[in-house]
Amino acid sequence: MDFDLSSDQSVLAEAIDNLVGRHHTLPSVIAAHYLPGDGLDSDLAQAGFFDIARSEGMSALEAVLLVERVARAPVAVEIGASALVVPLALPDHEISRPVALADARAGSPVRFLPGASSLLVDAGSEIRIADVSRLNIEPISSTFAYPFGTLTSAILDASEPLGDVSVELLRQWRRVALATEICGAGKSALDLTVQYVKDRRQFGRPIGEFQSVQHRLAECTMLLASARMMALRAALTGNSLDAAEAASLAQEAGTRIHHETHQFHGAMGITMEYPLHLWTYRLKALQGEMGGLVAQTGAVAALRWDDGEQP
Amino acid sequence: MDFNWTREHDAFRARLRDVLKRHLPDDWAEQSRYDTSSEYTSKFSRKFCPILAQEGLLIPHWPKELGGEGLDGFHHWILGEEMVAAGEPRSYQYMSVNWVGPTMMRYGTKAQQEEFIPKIKSGNFIWCQGFSEPDAGSDLAALRTRAERRGDRYLINGSKIWTSGASFADHCLMLARTGGERREGITVFLVPMKHPGVEVRVIPNYIGERTVHEVFFTEVEVPAEWRFGDESNGWEIVTYILHQERVGIPRYAFSMRVLDHAVELLKKRGAFSDSAVRARAGHARAACEATRYLALDVINDRVKGRPPSAKTSIVRYSQVRSDRLVADFLADYLADELVSGQDRMIASGYKRTGSVGIASGAAEVQLDLIARNHLDLPRRR
Repeated sequence: MDFDLSSDQSVLAEAIDNLVGRHHTLPSVIAAHYLPGDGLDSDLAQAGFFDIARSEGMSALEAVLLVERVARAPVAVEIGASALVVPLALPDHEISRPVALADARAGSPVRFLPGASSLLVDAGSEIRIADVSRLNIEPISSTFAYPFGTLTSAILDASEPLGDVSVELLRQWRRVALATEICGAGKSALDLTVQYVKDRRQFGRPIGEFQSVQHRLAECTMLLASARMMALRAALTGNSLDAAEAASLAQEAGTRIHHETHQFHGAMGITMEYPLHLWTYRLKALQGEMGGLVAQTGAVAALRWDDGEQP
Repeated sequence: MDFNWTREHDAFRARLRDVLKRHLPDDWAEQSRYDTSSEYTSKFSRKFCPILAQEGLLIPHWPKELGGEGLDGFHHWILGEEMVAAGEPRSYQYMSVNWVGPTMMRYGTKAQQEEFIPKIKSGNFIWCQGFSEPDAGSDLAALRTRAERRGDRYLINGSKIWTSGASFADHCLMLARTGGERREGITVFLVPMKHPGVEVRVIPNYIGERTVHEVFFTEVEVPAEWRFGDESNGWEIVTYILHQERVGIPRYAFSMRVLDHAVELLKKRGAFSDSAVRARAGHARAACEATRYLALDVINDRVKGRPPSAKTSIVRYSQVRSDRLVADFLADYLADELVSGQDRMIASGYKRTGSVGIASGAAEVQLDLIARNHLDLPRRR
C-alpha cells in the first residue's frame, strides 16, 4: 500500500503539466461553447502521450494521470477514449484516433463524433466499430462544451462487429475514463470558483468568508477527492467494481460541482465571456453519460451483489 | 503508487480474523448487540484485550521498546478495520491503542509512561476522554472546568459531558483551565475515575448503553504529577489527539458489513430487483469505499512521518456522508427490522450512524477546517 507517486510517475506528471499548461491560456474573447483543442492534441501526439498506457513500464495509472490533466485544460481534446479505453480494453487492436464512444442509440448526440476517425459502439452483447472519417457526420450545435454529432441509423448500419473483445472490459474502462475526465474538469471549475470567492467582495467582505459558501465548497472538495481516489484505485486494480464505484462518485461530484460553482459565480457564471462554462458544461454532458448516476450505482450493485452486469 | 496489501499485511489480517473466530462467543451478536459501549462489551474487552496482547495484536504498531511489535501504521489500521467490523470487542480500549498510548509516548513524563503504558498493554485498562463541557462542545476552547494550583497540588472543579464509557472507565484524560483565555491556559490531567470528588451519571441515549455520561469534578484534589504535559500546553496536546482520533475508527468497516447484510435480507424477500433499491445500495457502497481509501491515504502520510493535514477533515466528512447513506438505506428499505430491533446488526448499524457527525468535532467543524486549511478561504471576521 503506497499512495505516493513513484519518482518516475512524478516526473511524468510534471511533464504533462508543463505541456498541458501551455494550453491553459484563454482567448481574450470566448465566443463559443467550447474551445477546440487542436494545438494541445497535436502537442500530445508529438510527445507520444496518447500511447502512454502501452509504453514500457507504464499502465492505466499513467493514463489516468494524463487524462485528468488534459481534462483540466480549457480546451476540449478527445483523450479518454484514445489514451485509456482503447489501450486497456482493446489492447490487441489498432484503432485510429480520434475515437468517439457511444451506446447503440440512434439519434443520440455523441461526444467528439465530428472529427473522429473511429467510432466504438457498445451494442449490448458486442462492440461494433465504424470508420467514420469518410462518413457524413451532422454536427450538433450544443451548449455542452464538447463537439457533438448525431449517431444516425446510417452510421450504426455502417458499423461492424469487433470480434474477440469483451463488452464488460470496454464498459469498465469507459467508466474509468469518464470518472477521470469529470475529476479533471471538476478540479478546474472548483479552483476557479475558490479563487473567485476570495476575490469577489459583497457586503464589505470576500464572499468566501461566508460559512454557507465555505461549507458547500468544502463538500465539493470531499466529493471530488472521493471520486479521484476511486479513479486512481480503479486504474491500479483493473477491477470492474472499482471502475463502477469511481464513475458513480464522479458523476455525483460533477453534478454538485456544476451547481455550486455556478451558484457562487452569480450571473457572471452564466455568461459565455467568463470561462466557467468551459468546464461546467462538460460536467453536465458527462453527468448523463453511460446512463448517469443510477446506471453506475446499479452497476456497483450488480458487480458487488450479483454475478455481474447483464448485457 | 500501489493499492495492494503486502503479503505481511494480508497475513496480519488473517491472524486477526482467526483470533476473532476463536474468541468471540457464539452468542456475541445477541450479548454485545454490537454496542461498543455496553457493560457486556466493556467486561468482555477486559478478557479479550489480554488475549490480543498475548498474541501481539493489541498494540502492533507501537515501538518494540514500548512493548509493541514495531509494525507500520497500516497494521494499526487493519487492526481497527477488523475489530470495528466485528462490533469492536475491545470496547473503549480502542482509544488506548489509537490515541492515549501515542499521546503518552509523546507528552507523558517518564513516570507516567512507566505507570500507564504497562496498564494499557495489559488489556485491562479503560480510559475515557474528558473534553466536552455543557458550554464547550464544538467550541472546545470555551471550556470552564478549573484547576487551581495549591502548592504541589491542583484543585479541580467543573463538569464534563458526553464522555463515552465514563461509568466503567478506570482513568480519565481530562482538560481543565489553569488560567488564561480560550486556547491559552488549558492543561491536561490524568485522573482516576474512583478518585474522591469524581462522580458519574449515565445519560440515556439513542446510540449505545453507556455512550454518553456527565462527569462531575467537585473539589477534586490531584497531585502535580498527575498533570500531563506542561501547564497551559493543553491545546497542543488536544490538537494532536484530535488528529489521531478523527481518523481513528474505521467506522465504514462496520457500515459495509451492515450493507452487505441488508442486501442479503432484501434478496431473500425478493426485494433486490428494484432498480431504485439497487442504485441506493450501490451508491452507499461506493461512498464507503471512498471513505476507506481516503482514510488509508491519511495512514500513508502517518506511516511516512508527515504532519497531519486537512485531509483528516476530508476523511471525517466523507465518513459522515457514507454512514448517512447507509443509515438512510436501512431506514428506507428495512424499516421493519429497524423498528423491531430484532436484527442486531441492522439495529446497531443504524444507531452508530447517529453520532458520526457529532463525535470528534461536529461535521461543520470539519467543513470549516477544509475551507480554511485546504481551500485557504478567508477566516470569518
